Amino acid sequence: MSNPTAVTRRRLSLGGSTSALRVRFLGVVIFLAILVIAFSLLSPQFFTLGNGRSVLFTAAILAIAAAGQSLVVLTGNLDLSVGSIMGLTAYVVFDLAGKNAALQPFVVILALAIGALLGFINGVFVTVLQIPSIVATLGTLSIYRGFVSVYANAKEVTSGTLPPWMRALATQVWLGLPSYVWISAVIIAIVAVALTRLPWGRKIYAYGSNPKAARFYGLSSTRIVIGAYVGAGMIAAIAGLLLGAQVGNINSLLANGIELQVLAAVVIGGVSIWGGSGSVIGAAIGAVVLATINNGLVLLEVQEFYRLLIQGAAIIAAVWVDAIVQRRVIGSGTRRRIMEVES
Amino acid sequence: MKRMLRTYGWELLLVVLIVLAGIWSSFLSPYFLDPVNLFSSAGFFVIFALMAFGLFPIILQGEIDISLASTLAVGSVLLGKLSQLGFPLAVALPIVLIICGILGAVNGLLVAVVGLPSLAVTLGTMGAYRGIAYLFAGDAGVTTIPPAYVSLGSSWIGIVPMTVVLAIAVGIVFAVLTTSTRFGRNSYAIGNSASASRLAGVSVAATRVAAYALAGVASGLAGYVWLAQYQSARGDNADGSILFVITAVVLGGVSIKGGSGRALGVALAILLLGTIQTGMKLANIPGTSQTLVIGALLVGSIGIPRIVQIVRGRIAAPRPAPKIDVDVRREEATQESKRTA
Repeated sequence: MSNPTAVTRRRLSLGGSTSALRVRFLGVVIFLAILVIAFSLLSPQFFTLGNGRSVLFTAAILAIAAAGQSLVVLTGNLDLSVGSIMGLTAYVVFDLAGKNAALQPFVVILALAIGALLGFINGVFVTVLQIPSIVATLGTLSIYRGFVSVYANAKEVTSGTLPPWMRALATQVWLGLPSYVWISAVIIAIVAVALTRLPWGRKIYAYGSNPKAARFYGLSSTRIVIGAYVGAGMIAAIAGLLLGAQVGNINSLLANGIELQVLAAVVIGGVSIWGGSGSVIGAAIGAVVLATINNGLVLLEVQEFYRLLIQGAAIIAAVWVDAIVQRRVIGSGTRRRIMEVES
Repeated sequence: MKRMLRTYGWELLLVVLIVLAGIWSSFLSPYFLDPVNLFSSAGFFVIFALMAFGLFPIILQGEIDISLASTLAVGSVLLGKLSQLGFPLAVALPIVLIICGILGAVNGLLVAVVGLPSLAVTLGTMGAYRGIAYLFAGDAGVTTIPPAYVSLGSSWIGIVPMTVVLAIAVGIVFAVLTTSTRFGRNSYAIGNSASASRLAGVSVAATRVAAYALAGVASGLAGYVWLAQYQSARGDNADGSILFVITAVVLGGVSIKGGSGRALGVALAILLLGTIQTGMKLANIPGTSQTLVIGALLVGSIGIPRIVQIVRGRIAAPRPAPKIDVDVRREEATQESKRTA
């Protein structure tokens, strides 16, 4: 009885056959459109090519981090350690590449390995040790950050240790857009395809929408959740590397506190905080929404108050819409009701 | 004796850790055990303690509130502004506490009545309330505070700072609230199963809103302590401190899934974190390195008992994995929140 539910929900989020789920994704797009129109009317500088580039550039790294975070959120968990993973990876990679020039061609692989390890640790804490994800990743947020702080010993490293092509990336423009925007788009596309086409991704949706049904279906919850955390860790590591290359001289505090921004992007992007539904493209648009709000309000020279207020309101509005959608999806699927009674 | 050990095992463990941390700290610095140092260091943690006590009933009910540090900022800034407008403290403080209580109640309404996930709601209000604090404070903040408002920060009973006395009093209030009132009993019941509580006639929504409002009031009080201690108030007061507060509550033995934990544990956890941080500060270990120990403590406190359990399970006869229970519970919780949605 449980299996059909997982399958039904999977189909819903895949094909978008239920209008309610489509409404949520459309909601983010419409919200972004309204923001763009409003800012364009209010400020003549907003709707220019240069400014559009700058919005996308600021959104790029946040969007990558949000893509990683959505993997974990889709399983019904959280990763608060994303900022610490970014900071740790950037610092350690820069430092190692500086000490040993032979490592320079392998900086990306090195970063991916570190990110995978940190994500694996998160996943083990959540699955094997069964520590609730919010507590486990709150712990690793402190542990990873503390580790960089001890490792760095109050020193700074510079992106000068990176291979030249990596340093140049931060300022390059490809086909009219900053290179980071393209990199971000490619990463998001890879994650989106992996989530919708690969068994790895389909299992994440199946597990997230109904963990118990997924278990009865023979899926290993441990493997799925650890897989999501490892993926999230690797993506966060890349985001950290890019941020480090952009900033230049970094200390142990790089990307400190970014986790709540990332979470906000994911929530605004329509990824359900209950797990199981939402898309990585939505999360990326959520990051663009946040960047647009910041950029537009800076141009309008309004106070910090409005920026925080609009951001906060956007988050609450997004979960409100999500709650309505959830209710409609559950209401339309009588099977789910039957299952609830049986369990 | 055995029963007491079982009931208060967590608290006893915390006491042992506090003693160990104290011994270690006194090795690091001979000044640590100086009573004046001890109590003045304790004063630094009062703000976190007040927020942690406020957060405790919310987590007990299986929810979360990450907006409390922003509520604190609204409290401290508003109180500072009212002081400049010439209001006596006896008028201004109740106004601030009521407003902070309303901010908390708004969270509670969105969570309990509208049925939105508490993490996302308070992520939103965390920003929005911080915005309100900036609105009141302006760019410069509030710096000249009348003496009546800050006397709390510099008054002592013997060698005990007044703020520490306040924190202990608030701790006792929350202990009594959770152990000896209907609100407290309902909180434990809701944390264990919200749907069962509803069927048993507990007003789940009202209890939740009350917990959030109380947390708002406690944060407002923390804002007052902030103003009195630092003699200034700005929009960014206590920004980023909420993770420390959550760490304290969870380390205090309060299950993040709700339904279990005690105010005493929360108080001891604050004491433990305070002892460790003060000791490390005396040893000149920078703040960001200190987080390594605090994070390890948080993960270890929950992870190590579980490792012991797994190892024991391996040694003893193989039993069916206990995992399923947890998953069933998690599933119930998800469905519960979906249904209330």
